[in-house]
Amino acid sequence: MLLLVLAFEWFYFNSIGPRFGTLDNTFDIVRHSVEIGLLAVVMTPIILTGGIDLSVGSLMGLCAILFGKLWRDGGLPIPLAMACTLGIGALAGGLNALLITWLRLPPLIVTLGSYSLFRGLAEAITRGVDTFTNFPPSFLVLGQERLLGVPVQAPVFLVVAIGIWLLVHRTTFGRSFRAIGFAPDGARFAGLPVERRLALVYMLAGVVAALAAVIYTARLGQARADAGTGYELFAITAVVLGGTSIFGGSGSVHGSLLGVAAIAVLNNGLVHARQPREVAGLLTGALLILALSTSAIPKLLATLRARRQTLPANVQPSKPA
Amino acid sequence: MKNLLALFIGAGLALVTGCNKSPDSAAGGATPAAGKKLTVALMPKSKGNAYFISCKQGADAAARELGVDLIFDGPTDPDPAKQNEIIENWITLGVDVIAAACENKEGISTALRKARQKGIKVLTYDSDAAPDARAFFVNQATPEGIGDTLMDEAARLCGSEGEFAIITASLTAANMNEWQKRIEARRVSKYPGMKMVALRPCDDLKDKAQSEATALLSANPNLKLLMAICSPAVPGAAEAVKQAGKTGKVKVIGLGLPSENRRYVKEGVTESVILWKTKDLGYLTVRAAVALAKGELATGAKTFKAGALGEFEIQGDNIVLGKPFIFSKDNIDQFDF
Repeated sequence: MLLLVLAFEWFYFNSIGPRFGTLDNTFDIVRHSVEIGLLAVVMTPIILTGGIDLSVGSLMGLCAILFGKLWRDGGLPIPLAMACTLGIGALAGGLNALLITWLRLPPLIVTLGSYSLFRGLAEAITRGVDTFTNFPPSFLVLGQERLLGVPVQAPVFLVVAIGIWLLVHRTTFGRSFRAIGFAPDGARFAGLPVERRLALVYMLAGVVAALAAVIYTARLGQARADAGTGYELFAITAVVLGGTSIFGGSGSVHGSLLGVAAIAVLNNGLVHARQPREVAGLLTGALLILALSTSAIPKLLATLRARRQTLPANVQPSKPA
Repeated sequence: MKNLLALFIGAGLALVTGCNKSPDSAAGGATPAAGKKLTVALMPKSKGNAYFISCKQGADAAARELGVDLIFDGPTDPDPAKQNEIIENWITLGVDVIAAACENKEGISTALRKARQKGIKVLTYDSDAAPDARAFFVNQATPEGIGDTLMDEAARLCGSEGEFAIITASLTAANMNEWQKRIEARRVSKYPGMKMVALRPCDDLKDKAQSEATALLSANPNLKLLMAICSPAVPGAAEAVKQAGKTGKVKVIGLGLPSENRRYVKEGVTESVILWKTKDLGYLTVRAAVALAKGELATGAKTFKAGALGEFEIQGDNIVLGKPFIFSKDNIDQFDF
């Protein structure tokens, strides 16, 4: 269904915008959606477990400025600063994981808290004014240049996406995520280490958000506390659009990738069709609601039918009495 | 339900198709050959801001006069990467000239440089980028002009002594920082009796400005004046003063649109609104953009003649719009933007 939508979008915009279908533009789309793509891919296992992580966008802001600070003020070479940033991401994800698994707090509330906490920290550290710029060109390559014709960040994204796909779809871990989302208590009774598996997905989200922050910084050539504002919602939209149930238990990483692509192509295509991009928000919302209803309506019809069939059966025996 | 939604999407796409009446001009814009229509891409800092909508009116007028295609697009949410993405899309789209009001200087300069490498002419207006990322900056008013006018007006209303506070858009916006520095310099040199007690950002949002102003009012009981230096903050601050029942006691001045502040100016909450004529800014920007694309405006020029508005001075690579204007109770009805 989503594949059809994507194909439709592609052909439609291609017929209108003379430069839409060019390789240059395709790579523009990829370049602009890598960060949200990373977040969507790593959000998928979280939502599969029935959880959610609202803090990834804010964590991007925090990681971006810490990366800038380590490099500029700490004097660390870029690769080392990158490694530290990924470590910080893991720690931040670990904090979420700790609160969720140890204190058994609902992920929605925990990450709502860290959503404010991380962004607040980023703003406090920079006092809202400090901006990190003048990164060396060798670093900006990661966000702005091409390698063998493709944007440099594309292969990085591909590696992460394949890694998480394998984790979710080809390992017992992946199966346990779905089991936890389907019935957390059942999973616990079945002897699954639920807490450890949950901790894994939230820490993974932290690391990948940190990676997204580094790529984002390279793409813009600046690190500021407002990096990644609102990205968590784009990622969640893409995941749900891609067919993952928000209640957990079912869904796929490739679905989320299609979700990201559908939104990204829509956003880019409207520029080529010379349409105001506000329409993109409207159409994304409509698409999401439509996708959700098409999966919910058959279920609703089925329950209605079932009720109609059971009702006469209940009514008849009561008649003689 | 399902049909309704399908209808909704269908209507959305129909809207898109319906509006798209000139695919030819899209292709035309891609190749700036002689005789083809030029495409000018104009970017506001944020699209819904009344200030930029008013710029657009002037821009539209200039585009009509010169017979060029005008694209007006900019961010609708506060994601700082949006301006870059739109500019990169414009590069691929192949517009002839880009005129941008920059939300964050360093970030957008990366994208503007890339546009220049691809042979697209670039200028900035309202808020500048790095100097090597554009050919000209259409400067709506020099920081001196704005800072001095605001500080003079504040001192006049307070009798040159007392506390005042400033509400700005963000602590990172290049132009606001310049103005604020200038306000401070003017205060130190001419009005030592005035004291600035706070500087608060409002993220270019009216409701945030209102809550910041409310907090400022309760935290500083001796406050005599609120100075709002971004346009949504002026009505925001006025509403806060009005609701706190401090009309007349705490005066509001600021940089803003007359139309957004008319009510408060008439009620006596806001004393004066200071601004350049935004329509003229849009008009001058598009005029300069087209001249730049046609090679009629080159680096080193001392003056620029912009159609109906006449001649403008160029200081270095800044095309200067002129002195700001003070709107007050007496003249505010003469302006409709």
